[in-house]
Amino acid sequence: MREVGSFMFGKKGWLGLLMTAVLLLGACSQGGGATTTGTGGSDANSTDASGNEASGELAQAKLKIVLYGDESNRMKQLAKTEFYNRIKQEINAEVEFQFLPWTEYAGGKTDLMLSTGEDFATYTDANYMVKSVAKGLYADLTPYTEASADLSQTVDEASFKAFQLGGKQYAIPVGNKPNSAEFYSVLVRQDLLEEVGMSEVTSLAQLEEYYDKAHAAHPELIGYAGVDARRMLLYDYTDKNLYWQNDFVALDESAQDDRIINWFESEEFKKYAGLMRGWYEKGIIPKYAATNVPQLQSDWNSGKAMFWAGTAARPFEGAATISQAVPDAKLVNYFLGEGRPKISRGTYSTAFFVSSAAKDPERYVMFFNLLQKDQELYDLFAYGIEGTDYTLDENDRITRLTTDSLIPDWLLMNKNFIRFDNSVPDDFIAEYKAWDDDAVISKGAGFNFDNTPVKNEETKLNGVLTEYLAPIGSGFVDYETGYPKALERLKAAGIDKYIVEYQKQFSAWHVEQNQ
Amino acid sequence: MVQQATPRETNERLAKRQAVSFGRLRKSIGRDAPLYLLALPGIAVLILFAYLPMSGLILVFKNYNFNDGIFGSPWAGFANFEFFFSSMEDAIRATRNTVMLNVLYMLTGTFFSVAIAIVLNEMRSKWFVKITQSVMFFPYFISWIIIGAILFSLLDYDKGILNQSLAALGLSQVDWYSSPWLFVVILVLANIWKSAGYGAIIYYAVLQGIDTSYYEAARIDGASRWQIIMRITLPMLIPSIILMSLLSIGGMLKGDLSMIMGVTFLNPLLLPTTDIIDVYVYRTAIRSGEFGFASAITLYQSVFGFILVLVANKMAGWYDKDSKLF
Amino acid sequence: MPQAENKGLLIFFYVCIAVFSVICFAPFVLAVSGSLSTESRIAAEGYSFWPRGFSLETYQFLFGSKLEQIVRAYAVSLTVTVLGTVSAVLVTTAYAYVVSVKSFRFRNVFAFFAYFTMLFSGGTLPWYLLSTKYYHLDDKLIGLIVPYLLSVFLMFLMTNYFRSIPHEIVESAQIDGAGHLRIFIRIMLPLGRVGVVTISLFYALQYWNDFYLPLMLVTDERLYTIQYLMYTMMANIQFLASGNAAQVGGAIIAPPLETAKMAMTCLTVLPIAILYPFLQGFFVKGIVVGSVKG
Repeated sequence: MREVGSFMFGKKGWLGLLMTAVLLLGACSQGGGATTTGTGGSDANSTDASGNEASGELAQAKLKIVLYGDESNRMKQLAKTEFYNRIKQEINAEVEFQFLPWTEYAGGKTDLMLSTGEDFATYTDANYMVKSVAKGLYADLTPYTEASADLSQTVDEASFKAFQLGGKQYAIPVGNKPNSAEFYSVLVRQDLLEEVGMSEVTSLAQLEEYYDKAHAAHPELIGYAGVDARRMLLYDYTDKNLYWQNDFVALDESAQDDRIINWFESEEFKKYAGLMRGWYEKGIIPKYAATNVPQLQSDWNSGKAMFWAGTAARPFEGAATISQAVPDAKLVNYFLGEGRPKISRGTYSTAFFVSSAAKDPERYVMFFNLLQKDQELYDLFAYGIEGTDYTLDENDRITRLTTDSLIPDWLLMNKNFIRFDNSVPDDFIAEYKAWDDDAVISKGAGFNFDNTPVKNEETKLNGVLTEYLAPIGSGFVDYETGYPKALERLKAAGIDKYIVEYQKQFSAWHVEQNQ
Repeated sequence: MVQQATPRETNERLAKRQAVSFGRLRKSIGRDAPLYLLALPGIAVLILFAYLPMSGLILVFKNYNFNDGIFGSPWAGFANFEFFFSSMEDAIRATRNTVMLNVLYMLTGTFFSVAIAIVLNEMRSKWFVKITQSVMFFPYFISWIIIGAILFSLLDYDKGILNQSLAALGLSQVDWYSSPWLFVVILVLANIWKSAGYGAIIYYAVLQGIDTSYYEAARIDGASRWQIIMRITLPMLIPSIILMSLLSIGGMLKGDLSMIMGVTFLNPLLLPTTDIIDVYVYRTAIRSGEFGFASAITLYQSVFGFILVLVANKMAGWYDKDSKLF
Repeated sequence: MPQAENKGLLIFFYVCIAVFSVICFAPFVLAVSGSLSTESRIAAEGYSFWPRGFSLETYQFLFGSKLEQIVRAYAVSLTVTVLGTVSAVLVTTAYAYVVSVKSFRFRNVFAFFAYFTMLFSGGTLPWYLLSTKYYHLDDKLIGLIVPYLLSVFLMFLMTNYFRSIPHEIVESAQIDGAGHLRIFIRIMLPLGRVGVVTISLFYALQYWNDFYLPLMLVTDERLYTIQYLMYTMMANIQFLASGNAAQVGGAIIAPPLETAKMAMTCLTVLPIAILYPFLQGFFVKGIVVGSVKG
């Protein structure tokens, strides 16, 4: 009886406590964005001016830009001096750069900062954008697109479309790099190829011949440093020009219609799985690929792999890493077939968004504009101060005097402004710049699927993918053996409902696009 | 005594009981005021950092969006749990795997920690104890990613040290990374290796508090070393073992995602036994960014663990009233 | 006297412990040698007990340009650890004492109040919201200390150590008119010092190794702890090595991924390796319980 008494006291106390807590939290979170006013202790920078240009003079604004990665010393210096001054000069804004570790990108701390109403901007990808807009975390930037007029000159229209939802612009794209047919080519170790007496690889048969010869000469090397070759091998298992929207849905870019393809239930998948099984059994894909995917990356970096998935920039990008291990390494892109136009999802690198709690979204857009405005600013942000951080020679080739990264290359990468160093041959550059010349924008570029009606199904489908379908797709498990169970699980998870919903949304969007 | 009480009598009795409890409370406060004072900082920390944030649990039953805030977001009922429980087969397997592994970890971990503590306690050589105890503690600080990489170099089918040794001895090689049930052994061993030293420190400290006169007396009576261990040392540790076990039972449905990720890299072939609840949630909900789903399952894990602790606590009370957690 | 049997068992014990210790120590040797090797050789040939291509390049890469920042981070970590441990031990032992007093009517309530928080959590968002917007712990040293002041696990451990103190001592003090405060300070803490040292060790380790609080609460780099610094560096190296980052304008040196992981392990374990044997001096075997006999 005594214990009951003490318990009752305790229970009442907690109930009261919890209720107070709920009320407290609820009350403050009401009207989300407004909570930042007056909270001087937090690290959000608030603007005190309205930032309009009624008088032709810009009022002062404070901006916080979050970037991911490690803040180098030089970046720290420049952020406080040249960058700060220049940005102030251009758009009368005081910019603070904050760095977060990569683990916090698209989630983690970024999500927390957004959800608690902080005033900042950073970059994102389309997936995260969709989720965040659904939760009301991003500011609508449509009214301010004029502020990015310069940027629109060097960044494609299609890139802007990719970050629109329901007709509204939720992020401003930056970057313009040729990236069509990403992973559709094979990135071959040309030095190894030539060592075994071949000069090029234009078909699957030749690729396997390359493997056989190289394997005989160097048994310790692995063939493919990856587990997904569905794009590379396209020519060999289908006539369609497939382009994937996500793991489950693909489009046939050679057809004019709006039909989506249920990848895992298609004939193409079966054929592809067969090819991969062959590769796995032959040893082109090492046995440990099922378990240790990071090892594959290590293998490539240390020169132990014969080929990889290729992109436009990979021949010279990351060459530093592999040439440490193999000084003579040369990387060349090859397609295992021809006749299908290269597909691009848009030439942007990434896109910047502004948190919905921001006081002055327009000023943020003006800042994004500066990143791609002209060569001079580009040089400043990407490379630093001429003479101190880098030098240019007579061919406009750059030699960097510091290894500190500033605003990262890959982020700003715009083919109109980019500079190459002396290690990149002229023909590479020419090829790189012309890479997208005959490319076609995907008919699905800019479509963002809203998964709310099929959240459960999509979640369960992920489970089926990671456990049953991925091993088949990478050749670890034989199609005949593994597919029946996988199909059963696929159906149970609701693939049909998912496909129907996806097709519905896609068709509706497609109609809108073509009006 | 079994008459029907009138409402007035009931009310009176209730009022009296309340008065008595309140009176007792006041008396208790008077005599025990210093106790309340001592507990105050702890209570403040718990309220600020545990109980107030706990109100966020209602988000599990809502569809949170920023503009409506926590209070105004629409209710979603049990929708966030649906993905998990609508795949009953997966849910059951995940729960089973979690519990199975945790029970194994608990049993083996406790056994080895206690054993090490007892054994160290028997040793005379101070420097030996110091060095080995420190060394046995190191694995606790090595991240699972590194342990996974080391294990890989041991267990890889083609180049792993283990298989190469087996081949040298003429025995057939084992495909560890394709054998889910064999791998359970690896996981258990890895867990022992990582945490035995840590647990041993706790038990060893308890043993340091034992009056040496007990041992003296037993030795004079002619007891052997083994007998002393079994009759004196071990029983002295039982309350601690019960406490540690009770503390970990609450986590019976929770698992270490970083361990499975680091050691198996989420190899699909091993999922039949390594797909614990946390792994399942990671490769389904988190992969799609559905954090609300993940929080819902965390609540499921907590509630289940809570029920288990209530039962276990009661059972501990039957054994010895002082062993109860609360 | 069955001495022979005793000795055999003892030898068996020594051997077992020695073997287990070697198994525990081996990966650490791999880590040290790995951190002193060249990245390309480790990536190609795997780990080994002897450095492959001895070089200090990894440590140079990690520390080279950031020496000042690192020294400052060590200072922050040290301060947080010392202040945190002392405060946490005080808060925890006090609470643990309250829970351990058998005659305290509400001790089970307090015990339950604490234990409940081990099981249920509201998630990161409410914690973050409260800590930054309401408690204003962001970018403050105290923010790196206060959230961890009471570890329920360690609190219960402490009650266990208190429980082993003979009750007669407490009783005789009470007869002499000592109140709870005096008993706590004069009797429980000194006699329970083995427990106090144990939980101090664990608290110190928690504060030293934590990167979560800096990640959540700190944006001012002057307040970075060493663990958080390393965490950031590791995340960055991993990103660079994954091939997702294009380094076009000029060859950036290849980040040492594998060796950096090893170096970080070494840097984490090193303080423990130094601290622990020192603390062990406090683990005095047996307690002189003279006062009871008297």
